[in-house]
Amino acid sequence: MLENMAEEALPNGFVENPIAGSNPPASKKKRNQPGNPDPEAEVIALSPKTLMATNRFLCEICGKGFQRDQNLQLHRRGHNLPWKLKQRTSKEIRKRVYVCPEKSCVHHHASRALGDLTGIKKHFCRKHGEKKWKCEKCAKRYAVQSDWKAHSKTCGTREYRCDCGTIFSRRDSFITHRAFCDALAEETARLNAASNMNNAVANNINYHFMGTPLGPSMAQHFSSIFKPISSNDEAINQTTRGLSLWMGQGSSQESIGNNNLHGIHQLGSVSSGTIFGDPLVSCSNPPPSDYQLNWVFGTKLSSSNAEELTASNSLPLTDVKEAGTQLLSVPSLYSTQHQSHQTPSANMSATALLQKAAQIGVTTTDPSFLGSFGLKCSDSQVRDGNKLCGVLYGTSNPILSTNIGNDVENLAGDLLQVHPAKRRHTMNEESGGGGQTRDFLGVGVQTICHPSSINGWI
Amino acid sequence: MAGHQDARYSATPSSSQWMSLSPGLGSPYTMIGTPPSEEWCMELLRLIKECGNHVAASNMPNANIMLEQISRLASAYGSPIQRIASYCIEAFAERMLRTKLPGLYNAFNSTKISLVSEENVAQRLFYNVCPFIKVAYLITNQAIIEAMEGEKRVHIIDLYSFEPEQWIDLLHTFKARPEGPPCLKITGVHDQRVVLEQMAVRLMAEASKLEISFHFIPIVSKLENVDTESFCVNAGEAIAISSAFQLHSLLAFDEEVPRRISPVASKRPLRKFLEEVSPDFTSPSSILSPSFSPKMRNFLSFLRRLSPKVMVIAEQEANHNGFSFTERVKEALDFYAPLFDCLDSIRSITPMERQMIEKMIFGEEIKNIIACEGVERKERHEKLEKWILRLEQVGFGWVKLSYYNIIHARKYLQNYGNDGYNIKEEEDGYVVFCWNRCPLFSISAWQFGRQK
Repeated sequence: MLENMAEEALPNGFVENPIAGSNPPASKKKRNQPGNPDPEAEVIALSPKTLMATNRFLCEICGKGFQRDQNLQLHRRGHNLPWKLKQRTSKEIRKRVYVCPEKSCVHHHASRALGDLTGIKKHFCRKHGEKKWKCEKCAKRYAVQSDWKAHSKTCGTREYRCDCGTIFSRRDSFITHRAFCDALAEETARLNAASNMNNAVANNINYHFMGTPLGPSMAQHFSSIFKPISSNDEAINQTTRGLSLWMGQGSSQESIGNNNLHGIHQLGSVSSGTIFGDPLVSCSNPPPSDYQLNWVFGTKLSSSNAEELTASNSLPLTDVKEAGTQLLSVPSLYSTQHQSHQTPSANMSATALLQKAAQIGVTTTDPSFLGSFGLKCSDSQVRDGNKLCGVLYGTSNPILSTNIGNDVENLAGDLLQVHPAKRRHTMNEESGGGGQTRDFLGVGVQTICHPSSINGWI
Repeated sequence: MAGHQDARYSATPSSSQWMSLSPGLGSPYTMIGTPPSEEWCMELLRLIKECGNHVAASNMPNANIMLEQISRLASAYGSPIQRIASYCIEAFAERMLRTKLPGLYNAFNSTKISLVSEENVAQRLFYNVCPFIKVAYLITNQAIIEAMEGEKRVHIIDLYSFEPEQWIDLLHTFKARPEGPPCLKITGVHDQRVVLEQMAVRLMAEASKLEISFHFIPIVSKLENVDTESFCVNAGEAIAISSAFQLHSLLAFDEEVPRRISPVASKRPLRKFLEEVSPDFTSPSSILSPSFSPKMRNFLSFLRRLSPKVMVIAEQEANHNGFSFTERVKEALDFYAPLFDCLDSIRSITPMERQMIEKMIFGEEIKNIIACEGVERKERHEKLEKWILRLEQVGFGWVKLSYYNIIHARKYLQNYGNDGYNIKEEEDGYVVFCWNRCPLFSISAWQFGRQK
């Protein structure tokens, strides 16, 4: 069999018919379906090594390898060596089919052999081989280089976007998803319409079985119970709109404001003994708003007057701070909210600040700083402080220092955090940096929140 | 901004002089309503870390000075970074009191009335306003539905029975099953009888409306003290377990035990000490491992003996259970900062409500992580990789969350209209809920026995 390998079947028409395309259409070879070989064909079984071997034909002079004997022979001419181009010896062209050497594979049996040597090579790599080629854009891996190349050409070029925001590169997965999505959207829409009629959930829903068990029915139930945006009951809107304005929410999301006050309504219900008011049912009972507000903003405040509430809210704030620093605690609700809504830029978010602090190495101890406070710190204390910094912050490799005392526990902690996670090394990168990659000394720039690969992102 | 404050000292503010503030000059604002500048915030964070070092070293005088400094700058009413700073230093202060002046601490506590009803209110507010818990319930329910396909008798063990909405929804979904609803039993664990009673009333009402055979078994207990004998599980029931942010409290244990044999006490070199205590100090069963907790092991073994068809665990994705104090402080800040930002970005709540959530939920957790030790420190969050080790050790096997489940949860999230939320799906079939790409918590599903 292996000798047969040496003379690979030439593609039809190579030697005998150098003029391409001169085959009359009538004799065009009919192609068998892949995996259903011509029963007359010769079955060849190759070992994995042979299959994967490239450049099996070596020139003895210079050691250059060739995939085909013909190519080697032509090369030998250049060395003035005797060469012989073998021609097809047999009269008949015996079709050859190949089986996959992998026992568990369906193509291992002769009846399901593949007709093309290149085909069987690719099949073997794809199914039973290691995926060595990786697309840079999307992290998809491939075992066959040609697959990888083909993918790279089209990766990211064509995108399908569903209404829900999910992005697909393949049309078929996009269509599948969209079917799901549409079903969900339909049920949600129907529920929204249904709940507007102020009926109890149980009575109002038509159960729809669309063939995918539990799919759409899930949607309607979850949407109904867990709905964050409650119904657009007009009565509620009236009362809550006024209240929303008073609370400083001039924003357009009043429907969410509705929900918020429904939350308050439920809070108020605590005292009256029925905690678990169904949010939809409660639509029909507009809450007594004054009572709720009192309850939320502190039971100590007895007045229900809006202005009084604002004013009295400032009391606890001023008590906390010294007079000189009252600027910090902005007294009225309005300006607090105003201020917090004025910091939309990422720079001011707490997360971003912490990340920045990590990057610029905020924790370097400055002995002179401590000195300026007139603290009588002994030298050792400052040193320990420095050492603590060094050991604790940003240890991505265990620091085998010999510090005693506190550092022992810290060291153990560090080592434990670096313990070999058996199959989770990918997760370490994606889990927001664990306890290992924070680097406050600025040794390496590491972000706290690692954006993950796109594969798992959406 | 820096210049005008330091005019008395020098033209350029060096880091040391920047913070040599005399009392009264603590304001970071040039005028009311201006948010603090970035440099100011950097300085605040630096101070906090300094202070943390002193607290770790139990250095009372230094810590006191620094706390005084920071308390002028941090505020529960300022920008998110100021607020988180204020809860952080409150925790520092409590820790110092507990360890250095326990008499004072106990005296303070003797008049403290814990307003349980207010805590419940804050919890419910948080539940309604932020999608985290709801999404966890959503995913749990769907996983249960999928696992219980074809089952006639279903018994769900809810490790923290607080919100009836979760199970009401499940009742409806079970009712809509093609094969009809099963006989459903729910065991709910909670430490307040009142909550469980109301849960029971509500669920029984709903079930009778839907004509589902339903039983509710309350267990009034904190999860970490629960008596496993009180669970009545009958043969022939398909068991599901729902654990939303509860399991970590079982990790609390008395750390004094390993401390007594610490190398400081015995004055041996570290390496020798580790060899003696445990040859493999990275294994979860070793005494030094943070996951060494007899309570946890017993409880997990108990759960596994129930042979559950599915167990869904939602846990904070953070490492708040390390030995090192300063490491914990850093982790806590990094974990809660996105939560503060997230809460800040929700426009539908009032500042007062936001403060309530921050104080009673986040602030309490931060306090617990930073100020408490030993059995009292309940908020021992750990990352999923550690949970995986632990669960697999006891004999649980992975279950992938289904594609439909994840899509549905994402679709639900869109209702909140907040771009920051995201559900990240991991290869192995669990999900991580993120805010602005910062992981917040993970949800994974397990079953009895290993997956084929």
